Amino acid sequence: MEDKGLFGKILAIVPGLAVMIGTLYVLRVYVEPWMKDAVVFGSKGWLVQVLSLNYILLSILTGMFYRNILFGGKIPAWAEEGFRTTRLFIKTGVIMLGSLYTFDKLLKVGGVAITLIVAFVFGTAIFVLWLGKRLGADRSVTATMAAACGVCGVSAAVATAPGVRAKPVDLALSIATILGFGIMTMFVSPFVGKMLSLSDYQFGAWVGTGILNSGQVLATCLAFNPNFAPGTAVAYGEIWNVVRVICIPFVVFFITAWYWKGEADAEHVSLGSILASKFPIFVLGFIGMTALSSLHIIGAEGSETLHLMRDVMAWVFGIGLVGLGAYIDVREIKAAGGKPLRIGLIAGVTKYVLAMIIILAFIPKEGAF
Amino acid sequence: MKLLLALDDGPGARRAVDEAIRIARQQGATLDALFVIDATWDVFTGHDWLSGCNSRIGFLEYMQGLEEKAAAETARAFLERRGDLPGELLTAPGDVVDVVREHAARGYDLLVLSNPFTRGLEVMRDAVAKLTRDAPCDVLLVRPAPE
Repeated sequence: MEDKGLFGKILAIVPGLAVMIGTLYVLRVYVEPWMKDAVVFGSKGWLVQVLSLNYILLSILTGMFYRNILFGGKIPAWAEEGFRTTRLFIKTGVIMLGSLYTFDKLLKVGGVAITLIVAFVFGTAIFVLWLGKRLGADRSVTATMAAACGVCGVSAAVATAPGVRAKPVDLALSIATILGFGIMTMFVSPFVGKMLSLSDYQFGAWVGTGILNSGQVLATCLAFNPNFAPGTAVAYGEIWNVVRVICIPFVVFFITAWYWKGEADAEHVSLGSILASKFPIFVLGFIGMTALSSLHIIGAEGSETLHLMRDVMAWVFGIGLVGLGAYIDVREIKAAGGKPLRIGLIAGVTKYVLAMIIILAFIPKEGAF
Repeated sequence: MKLLLALDDGPGARRAVDEAIRIARQQGATLDALFVIDATWDVFTGHDWLSGCNSRIGFLEYMQGLEEKAAAETARAFLERRGDLPGELLTAPGDVVDVVREHAARGYDLLVLSNPFTRGLEVMRDAVAKLTRDAPCDVLLVRPAPE
């Protein structure tokens, strides 16, 4: 492979990154304001208020348009390196989200979040392990789907696959299922949330518990309420998200141990090695940012610094979400099928609906901050 | 005459190999076989943004290992059946359709592949449609043997 050197590597990022930034600029400066004023079905701003088509969902949709229509199904070589920065933007955004909290605020909702997430993550994983057996699915397919449906979708599938010897075809079908289900819930949830008049707290808790992919949790919360501030949907949803992300290594360990228990050539798995290799380090950045916020180092609520930071956060997420959209290939999702699809649909819908019932029954409208 | 057989490890693979060998023997042709190691898993899982480097690299190495194992098994099966026919066995990494198309443009008269062609992540895509749309040579699509 050709070695481009540091300067060459940076240069290779520019075209794709310019497309992502330019796209967000056009969406935020021209398209979203136009949509807010546009009259549809006799109602001003219908597109934004009813369909939640703010710059967040538009970013994802535009990314999908690039990949599936403009680029003909494949990110072109000239844009590939730039679009690869998507992960960096979203991780940076999540770290910055830590500034929305202080530790005392986290403690107020942390207990509820931990209880709900742990119950749903392990409950879903155990349900899928049972369902896979009932449907006669291969053990590696069942294990991959248990991780993907239980905790963080595609990321959990990626983390679990090597440990459970997932086969490429099964893994591809599992990922397509998870992605397809997540995209559907991402567009449906804001509409349902508004229809049921959910508060930001309830909405954040619901999608944080019920949506499979953590990236889609963020996007859905921002589609419901695009503001970055304490007490908004994204502020609550992200607490759920972070608890989920921390759960990944434990879920991978649980499922890998289950898998090897049923195999003749059992391998030893240790929680320590899984924690070392699978723990998402950026969560520490998020906690660090919360520490800075708790110590009032980045300014009090309403300060210029925080205002600027939240504006930057909106841009960082928006750019990342254009990229995330460009990684969604509709044709690949349409190819989903077989047992992964059946398991994913049953587990996904059950989790989504059950989470809604629990939120409506036990989570008050008033948030803790 | 030069034939290129795109190797697959899917259900229709064996019949495509047999057909390519039959035609090559009949025509006295050279038969090259190409196995593409799918290198697009990174993009396919691009939606995963929260995995750490270790987790992601571990996953990509695992997939690479499976691809190489599939390449070795498919190559062995092909060589057993080919016998003394002249030709090369080629292995190349990349996007399956791009690599097959690029090789087919190197002076081959006929490209033989199974239909559906499910090598690597092409199981989720439509390699046959893409390859036949702007094929650089004639293409023979071989259906799987009836069960």
